Amino acid sequence: MTLPKFELHRPESLDEALDILASSPGAVPIAGGTALIVDMRGRRLSPPVLVDIGLIDRLSGVRIEGGEVVIGAATTIAEIKESDLIAQHSPLLSEACGLFASPSVRNRATIGGNIAYASPAADTAPPLLALDASVELASASGRRTVPIDRFFLGVRRTERRDDELITAIRFPIPAEGTEGRFRKLGLRRADAISVVSAAVSIGPPADGGRRVRIALGAVAPTPIRARRAEEALSAGPIDEGAILAAAEAAASEASPVSDLRGSDWYRREAIRALVRRLLRPVVEGRSDG
Amino acid sequence: MIGKVEVKPLPKVDLPPLRQVGRPLRRVDALGKAVGSTVYAADFSMPNMLHAKVLRSPVPSGRIVGLNVDRARSIPGVACVLTARDLPGAKLSTDMPGQTGRKERAGSAAPVLARDVVRFQGEPIALVAAEMEEIAEEAIGAIELEMEETPGVFDPEEALKPGAPKVYGDDNVVARWKIRKGDVEKGMAEADLIVENTFRMPFVEHAYLEPEAGVAWVDDQGVINIRVCTQVVEHFRSVAKALGIPQNKVRIRGTMVGGGFGGKEDVTVEIFLALLARETGRPVKLVYTREESFVAQSKRHPFVITHRTGVKRDGRITAAKIDMIADSGAYPYLTPYVLLYATAMATGPYRIENVSVDSVAAATNQPFTSAFRGFGGPQAALAYEQQMDEIAKAVGLDPLTVRRANYLRRGDETATGQRIASEVWLEETVTRAIAGLGEPTPSSKTRKVGRGFASYFQSYGRITWFHDTSRAWVGLELDGTATIRCGVPDIGAGQANSLCQIASELLGVPLERVTVYATDSAVTPLAGTSTATRQLYMSGHAVHKAASAVRKNLLDRAAVHFGVGPDAVDLADGRAFVKGDESRSIGLDELASPCAADGIPLSTLALFTAPFTDGIDPETGQGDIWPDFTFGAQAVEVAVDIETGQVEVLKSVACHDVGRAINPAAVRGQIIGGSHQGLGYALMEEYIVKDGITQTPSLAEYLVPTSCDFPATEAIILESGSGVGPFGAKGIGEPALTPAAPAVANAVADAIGIRIHEVPITPERVLAAMKRGARWRG
Ligand SMILES: Cc1cc2nc3c(=O)[nH]c(=O)nc-3n(C[C@H](O)[C@H](O)[C@H](O)COP(=O)(O)OP(=O)(O)OC[C@H]3O[C@@H](n4cnc5c(N)ncnc54)[C@H](O)[C@@H]3O)c2cc1C
Repeated sequence: MTLPKFELHRPESLDEALDILASSPGAVPIAGGTALIVDMRGRRLSPPVLVDIGLIDRLSGVRIEGGEVVIGAATTIAEIKESDLIAQHSPLLSEACGLFASPSVRNRATIGGNIAYASPAADTAPPLLALDASVELASASGRRTVPIDRFFLGVRRTERRDDELITAIRFPIPAEGTEGRFRKLGLRRADAISVVSAAVSIGPPADGGRRVRIALGAVAPTPIRARRAEEALSAGPIDEGAILAAAEAAASEASPVSDLRGSDWYRREAIRALVRRLLRPVVEGRSDG
Repeated sequence: MIGKVEVKPLPKVDLPPLRQVGRPLRRVDALGKAVGSTVYAADFSMPNMLHAKVLRSPVPSGRIVGLNVDRARSIPGVACVLTARDLPGAKLSTDMPGQTGRKERAGSAAPVLARDVVRFQGEPIALVAAEMEEIAEEAIGAIELEMEETPGVFDPEEALKPGAPKVYGDDNVVARWKIRKGDVEKGMAEADLIVENTFRMPFVEHAYLEPEAGVAWVDDQGVINIRVCTQVVEHFRSVAKALGIPQNKVRIRGTMVGGGFGGKEDVTVEIFLALLARETGRPVKLVYTREESFVAQSKRHPFVITHRTGVKRDGRITAAKIDMIADSGAYPYLTPYVLLYATAMATGPYRIENVSVDSVAAATNQPFTSAFRGFGGPQAALAYEQQMDEIAKAVGLDPLTVRRANYLRRGDETATGQRIASEVWLEETVTRAIAGLGEPTPSSKTRKVGRGFASYFQSYGRITWFHDTSRAWVGLELDGTATIRCGVPDIGAGQANSLCQIASELLGVPLERVTVYATDSAVTPLAGTSTATRQLYMSGHAVHKAASAVRKNLLDRAAVHFGVGPDAVDLADGRAFVKGDESRSIGLDELASPCAADGIPLSTLALFTAPFTDGIDPETGQGDIWPDFTFGAQAVEVAVDIETGQVEVLKSVACHDVGRAINPAAVRGQIIGGSHQGLGYALMEEYIVKDGITQTPSLAEYLVPTSCDFPATEAIILESGSGVGPFGAKGIGEPALTPAAPAVANAVADAIGIRIHEVPITPERVLAAMKRGARWRG
């Protein structure tokens, strides 16, 4: 099958890209194309203008900036998987990128595209939620930063306006001793959309309790934080009882659908199992557990 | 868990020493595939070529109340739009595959394009040819199609009830078969125990790498040429019939096929292309998208199979009563024969005196079903091998003991009374497969390890009352190279290479100096279908026969040259030489000249005929059906995650007696690939159809295993030398798939102690079964 007709722009600067987005009605950014082209080929989308952001240098790469990890929006999943900085500061994101799609897709797919596409099953979303990431947006008329837990509005709907580009994803370098992990459950080992995914990030004990983040994918219209599950762990010892309570809370916070990949019943079962499994080793490796 | 097994040494087999056959030589088709120079059907273009598209029904059951193509025809760049009204009565025969002279069954034809009634989602309604693919697509969109949906039937059991919507004939019965052997009631009465289970299998998609594709043109002699990826070049006859033109005015030039698995056994794009090329007088190309390939072509048959088995405490089976229902989808295609395969192999490779099998295939408004690697055999095996494990559980014996008490032996009769003349290496293969698993992997609290295995038998060669034949031409060129002409389509399994290795062996011409022309209905002698695991058997023999005739002439002439008797001469490495004194030798090129000068033929056309039989008795199912059978086994070890239900295949070992491996590397490839496909059948593949509408329309929803999903199956190749193929070969193409899925099903049951009676065994089904099991246990 062919693609619908479109006009292609390949700007080399961010400003140029933003100008085109501002001035061409219906213009849509394209990064790796691993989501967009599929939709265009299936005629679910026929954008008249595509703006390829792949030539804009500034948009890719991982760096540290003022206590934050900054990932350019056009950085590929493969690059993030291989990044030492990411491995050092946010191994859960490395894990997620290692389980993402398959090697060939990882070489093209970008983190910006993953977040912008806003699939409930986006695999980088739970880690980014667990890392308190925020999304940097730019348009011809200005810039803004949106915390990721306010970025997703619904299935394939986000805070991003049509004239905005995601320029980067950033998150604070986690405190020393923070443990984080990610797991996804798919129906095969590669190129499998998550049936359920989960990320946890647990900070070291601190005065007012500890920082706990539990985030879930593919169990609600958007990737979500399981806040009650987080609360079950934020104070008091993290023992088997607390873990079971957190897993239970996470399952009850989810509102999964039944689809080809799994029923809502199965998805809740899977959340319980995933959350338990993510928490146990995190706790076992620590003295306060 | 199955315990340690003793592996006995193999019976002594005298395999004649060979030089080329039996070696893992680099296949003649390997390099082109490795470097990407092999040209597949979709790679061809021609000057002035048009691009075709097909309008297909969006609904599974309906009437066409309006079909207006005027707007589509008027789009600039559209060369031609055809509907059923432009081709009165054009039908596609759906159960007369290949080259046999048999008459098709009445009513087993599908309209080439639907005229009034539509019976499945995706049924073709109109054809377009245009200057560009984009224009053809636009024209398809501009066709005004008005449909009135009519009540459909989406389940074969429903389809057989009185009053069900009629899809085929008066009663939706596409085929029925019966086997009656011995006295089942008596056998059941003698049993200590009766074990009953029902097993279910879904639609499965072939999902070959290469979707259907072709290019057609009318040449200067008025012959319609169709370059197409197909398993059956003899479809030139079906094309001629559908177009109402003489058979010698259609030529199919097959290409290297990017996977067939039975899905390219039926006609695919050929008739559409021929119609459009004839209509426009221009070359026309049609390439299906993956999504179109899914809805346009056949699926593996869903089956519901119920086994009721009478068994003695020592594991001996006294009687088997088996019922099978298969979904034929909207048209018959090869359903009657697939059902026959499943029926005749329903009892598995076991000696059972009292057998009753009743099978029926019903038409529904679902995707049509037809050939798929194993042709009903894998469905039968999924049922009989799981049943064997359930029998073992019921009588409290281990699964191998129960099988051993019932395994067929050489000279025994199958359920249809066919005597097995070749070796039956069930014990030999099963013990090696199980032993190959090595030390068990330990279970953990949440990861339960289980092991399972399956034995099987699977026919190779076509149904013998089809009176199957194959032809091959073999010749030695004057420079000592060899040429084979044989109509065999190579569907990626190395069909062409095997023929080359056989000719190389017999002519003493090195493999790289053998060239094969294949898969052309006009210029390569017809070799029959690349289906039914028959090409090595049939065309291998034809090449053997032709090459042997050439060999004889060469030996005779060489004997004259050396002044010795013909028995004293041999051929190898491109030379003729005196046995035992290789200093007396002559190059085949040098030998060719005197042969040519003396008028000694250096080429022959040979015909090989399979055994011809009459049909089986319709009331009892008794009679011979196939030339022979392959026997083997597969054992797997799995780990089941009892919290997520995920099944991981840890180890997989398959052992097959292939009779004689013409090229062991190719055989190994078939075993690994077939096993992977079978493991996918067990664990993930399911073409889901809801009320006739596919829910898995692309590879995003329809999951096939990737290379990451399973370990490569260890292939243990045994050679009894007892097959009916050339050099004692049996067949491995289809058999390679058959035991994988039941082995996995048995391993999962072993791991969790609960049987899941349907495939695929998805994580959700595992978890649900475990919850149910937990409830029953309290
Ligand atoms: C075979 C296959 C397997 C897959 N497996 C997975 C998987 O395991 N996990 C997973 O999460 N996803 C998976 N996907 C989906 C897809 O690969 C990801 O969502 C990917 O991250 C999309 O990134 P991209 O760069 O290709 O985006 P594109 O396809 O280029 O764009 C996607 C959307 O994002 C917008 N966009 C892209 N970049 C920006 C930007 N910088 N600013 C604003 N908008 C932008 C585009 O306009 C478009 O709407 C898979 C896809 C395929 C085809």
